[in-house]
Amino acid sequence: MENLYILVPIVFPFIIAFMVLLRSFDTRVLRNIMVVTLVLCNFFLVLLLGKFQGQELFLMSFNENINLFLKVDKFAIFFATMASFLWSIATVYSTKYMEHEGREKAFFFFYMTTLGITMGIALSGSLFTLYMFYELLTLSTYPLVIHSRTDAALSSGIKYLVYSFIGATFIITGMILLYQYTNTLDFSPMGIFGENLSADIEKKKLMAIYVLLFLGFGVKAALAPFHAWLPNAMVAPTPVSALLHAVAVVKSGIFGLVRISYFIFTPVLISVIEADVFINILIGITILMGSILALHHDNLKKRLAYSTISQLGYIILGISLLNHNAFIGGMLHLINHAFIKIVLFFCAGSIYLASGKTKISEIRGIGRKMPVTMICFAIASFSLVGIPPTNGFVSKWYLALGGLEGNKLLFVIILLISAFLTAAYLLPIVVTAFLPAKEMDHNLEEFKDVKESPFPMIYSIVLLTIIVLILGIFPNPIISFIDEIASNIIWR
Amino acid sequence: MDYKELILLILLLPTIGAAGGFLIGLNDEKKRDIFNIIITGINFIIVSYLFIPLSSHTGMEVFIPNIMGVGLDLKIDMLRYVFIWITSFIWFLATVYSSQYLINYINRNRYYAFFMLTLGATLGVFMSENIINLSTFFEIMSFTSYVLIIHDQDRYAHDAGISYLAMAIAGSFILLMGLFLAYDYTGAITLAQLKSSFQSLGPEKYIIAVLMLIGFGVKASAFPLHVWLPKAHPAAPSPASAVLSGILIKTGIFGILMVSTFIFTSDLKISYLLTTIGLINMFLGGFLAMFQRNIKTIFAYSSMSQAGYILLGIGLVGLLKYEGSTAMYGVLFHIFNHAIFKVLLFFIAGLIYMVLHELSINIIRGFGKHTKVLKIVFIIAMCAITGVPGFSGYIGKTIIHHSLSEAAHMNGGIYFTIAEIVFTISSAFTVAYLTKVFVSVFLHESDDYKEPTIQEKVKSPIYHMSLRALIPLIALSLMILLTGLFPYKFMGAFQTAMGKIGYGLKFNGHLFDIHSILSSLFTIVLGLIIYIFFIRRLLVKEIAGEKEYINPTNSWFSIERDFYKPIFKNIYHGLFKVFHFIDHGLITGAENAGNFFNNILLKEVKMDFYGEYQEARADEHKTIAEIIGYVKLVFNSMVYSLYIFAIILALTLLFIMSYK
Repeated sequence: MENLYILVPIVFPFIIAFMVLLRSFDTRVLRNIMVVTLVLCNFFLVLLLGKFQGQELFLMSFNENINLFLKVDKFAIFFATMASFLWSIATVYSTKYMEHEGREKAFFFFYMTTLGITMGIALSGSLFTLYMFYELLTLSTYPLVIHSRTDAALSSGIKYLVYSFIGATFIITGMILLYQYTNTLDFSPMGIFGENLSADIEKKKLMAIYVLLFLGFGVKAALAPFHAWLPNAMVAPTPVSALLHAVAVVKSGIFGLVRISYFIFTPVLISVIEADVFINILIGITILMGSILALHHDNLKKRLAYSTISQLGYIILGISLLNHNAFIGGMLHLINHAFIKIVLFFCAGSIYLASGKTKISEIRGIGRKMPVTMICFAIASFSLVGIPPTNGFVSKWYLALGGLEGNKLLFVIILLISAFLTAAYLLPIVVTAFLPAKEMDHNLEEFKDVKESPFPMIYSIVLLTIIVLILGIFPNPIISFIDEIASNIIWR
Repeated sequence: MDYKELILLILLLPTIGAAGGFLIGLNDEKKRDIFNIIITGINFIIVSYLFIPLSSHTGMEVFIPNIMGVGLDLKIDMLRYVFIWITSFIWFLATVYSSQYLINYINRNRYYAFFMLTLGATLGVFMSENIINLSTFFEIMSFTSYVLIIHDQDRYAHDAGISYLAMAIAGSFILLMGLFLAYDYTGAITLAQLKSSFQSLGPEKYIIAVLMLIGFGVKASAFPLHVWLPKAHPAAPSPASAVLSGILIKTGIFGILMVSTFIFTSDLKISYLLTTIGLINMFLGGFLAMFQRNIKTIFAYSSMSQAGYILLGIGLVGLLKYEGSTAMYGVLFHIFNHAIFKVLLFFIAGLIYMVLHELSINIIRGFGKHTKVLKIVFIIAMCAITGVPGFSGYIGKTIIHHSLSEAAHMNGGIYFTIAEIVFTISSAFTVAYLTKVFVSVFLHESDDYKEPTIQEKVKSPIYHMSLRALIPLIALSLMILLTGLFPYKFMGAFQTAMGKIGYGLKFNGHLFDIHSILSSLFTIVLGLIIYIFFIRRLLVKEIAGEKEYINPTNSWFSIERDFYKPIFKNIYHGLFKVFHFIDHGLITGAENAGNFFNNILLKEVKMDFYGEYQEARADEHKTIAEIIGYVKLVFNSMVYSLYIFAIILALTLLFIMSYK
């Protein structure tokens, strides 16, 4: 039973979680060191998963067809590695940040359980298993969203739950309908429909199933019109929103989308049943809506939230264009956006912690007081806009090529318009921070006591920014890894 | 010998200079200035040295794989070398000049860092062979020069900066769109591959060409994408304005030259497009320059007009086909010369600003009456730009004019007649607006700027102006005289340069024949007439006893204010409303539905099923909600038992199924 090892990255975070909950530490520093080391250990445990590629672990089976089992494939490793790495950095950041938010014990407990569940999502071997973990994810992140226990937090928490369960309903309906056809829910790189499809009769029904599943996972991936929970969830503490946005929740939604589009259905089947048409309209709306509404918000975190919606649109676009280049672009953007967004949120958190400011109009000239933070913010902004030589450009390049390959010129134009809008909502922040208009210098008085953030926070921001830069200049290793995944599931 | 290291060094030195200069500058600003001058000086020396190997090689290429996925592909051939040399030459002088000019400025350290980075990016644009590298350097250049433009951080600078940045980013994305399409159709990643694969493309190549031309056209300030230029160039500190006007415009020109002449090998349609845009640019730039009062704005509009000459030349290269070599000489000469005399003009404006902190012609007039060196230098620059025989501008303008006549001769028609007229008038405009500056600044007698006594000479900064500010001016003036008097010395290099893009014929026209000189003199006379009868008569008004220049164009139609901005504002607001609705649609929908049901539940109905109690409670009405509550109460225990039953059932099922 050596493949029991697959369970380790999932169970280990739970052990950390209960340890944090049950053990009383002498000092805060001791606990922080313990937590950070253990999360890092988890990252290395995930790395070891590479040895077990292709192995499966059955947990339970409901009948001969519906199984609860875990499976390690390349795509699972891809997602698990990214998530656990970002988690460890975010933990470093939150050890310092959460000091002022209070209730650290509860925070770390749910934070770690969420990590375990995310690993579970990554390693799920069947749609049913994925669904189970997916629901658990909603439950374990809910306490994080309402961490501050204010009225605003509670009402956003309710919204978050309602939206998530709407999504879950879609998924479960789709799953039941799907099961009728296939009698299995296990993921397979060939799709699970096999050759026995008399396509003509079932076209509409299959389309309905696909769209239902897509919308179901689309709720977590903030696909319009099911995106409204995301900006609302901004009341959560910064590390939480960073993780919600960058890794755990939204990217789990994306992960689910990839699983249903390429491991349940196949690109060929989807284009036969013409299901991508409806979804493409929603994606176009998502991309433009996110960036235009982001332009409107003065609250920094809200702006970043809408920006996430638009960027997630890029990734979903990469999935739904159903060709090789687009898939590479989408997955590259999954990684790139994760790193970039987490930097942006961490910077926003640092600014809030140092100065108490949440609005963009209030941070004029803060670049002088917090140069390192704001330089990282600037680099991340340029990357998100997709200005070469940053990593955002690389993913945009592949997405655009994919769009042209699929003869969807309109999407390439939308992509570039949205990139322009991204510049319009991010660069003014950089400009106000570093080059405030002379007439408005009064803010400098206010920032007299503002200092650069403490070490763990600045460390995690700088580290992530360096990775963003490296990803931009040397994207080849990651591209070739994604290329391998893509050539397994997309045939040309 | 291997020249790869040298090519990389050219690109890396400015970056090293930016970082090193910034660190040194934190402690000692003097040392930083010297450091930067040395770095740009070394850069200039290396670039100059590269001429020797270049004249024997066909071209030098450096390729570093894996950077940005496609690798870094740098190339220097003679054509690129012309741009690279002029860039490093001008930058060296501008750095020397900056060290004096910026003494009274704040944030000098930031300025130098971005000044050097812009140099690196600009050289990168001229050197990159790979289209991804090209757009990378292009973007970096846009952003670093943005910081230079808004250096003053006042409202005017920020306003100009936003226009510049918005147009630069939009332009670069349109360029990117063109590159995407080009790559999709051809799979070509280098310019040479693009050239070879474009011949076989159908009409879609025109879409690609137009997208790329728009992208580069923003930088080259081609009409109607010029709106940022007259705002942005004057906003920057003078040395930065100088390189913006002198060099950065040339990056756009370089791109257009590559697209129209190199990749498309002189397609007729594109050539006509460029010729037309060039003519509009020349005319509009010159015309608007006459109205301006800020001398830097005058020079900025003048840059737009001169860019028009170059675009016209590029267009003519295509129209003349086999005879295109002549026009190409004109293009290269004018690119080269415009960089020099425009930078010189901005340096002069900078010197005036250093002393007076003012640039409006109404205030600074008479300033130069007794500053001899400045006056001579200005006359040289003015003769160059207006095309007086013997000065550099004359060469380029004359060759382009020759080519235009030739094209008219070849093709005929009303188009070329108009082109001829526009050319002459635009050249006359150039004379007119420079005469306006010259007369008011250097000839006007003003009480404010009397001839100084010896004591005053010692005190006044302009008379013991440091050499560091004057040397660049003198160097540039000498350069103007050199090109103007010995143009044939440059022909050899230019001929090799043109060979790279398919034109390599020896120059066989005459530059100093009587006809050309007469036509040049005619233009100058026409310009003076325009000055006397238009500018003196119509643009000078008596305000409070003083004769002041007025600028009526401020209230005229402005493409930016009356066209671009309203369009984008309306689109934004329209889209915002739509998306705002979608954003809140689901929540408002749910709320409305909830309210609807709530209203139903709160409706009062008459109770009928109370049976025997009906008479006693005849007047009592209950809401539906209360009724449901009652019903719930009745059914409560039943529901609960059902619930328990269901759970047990589910668990049993699970148990049975898993052990089947």
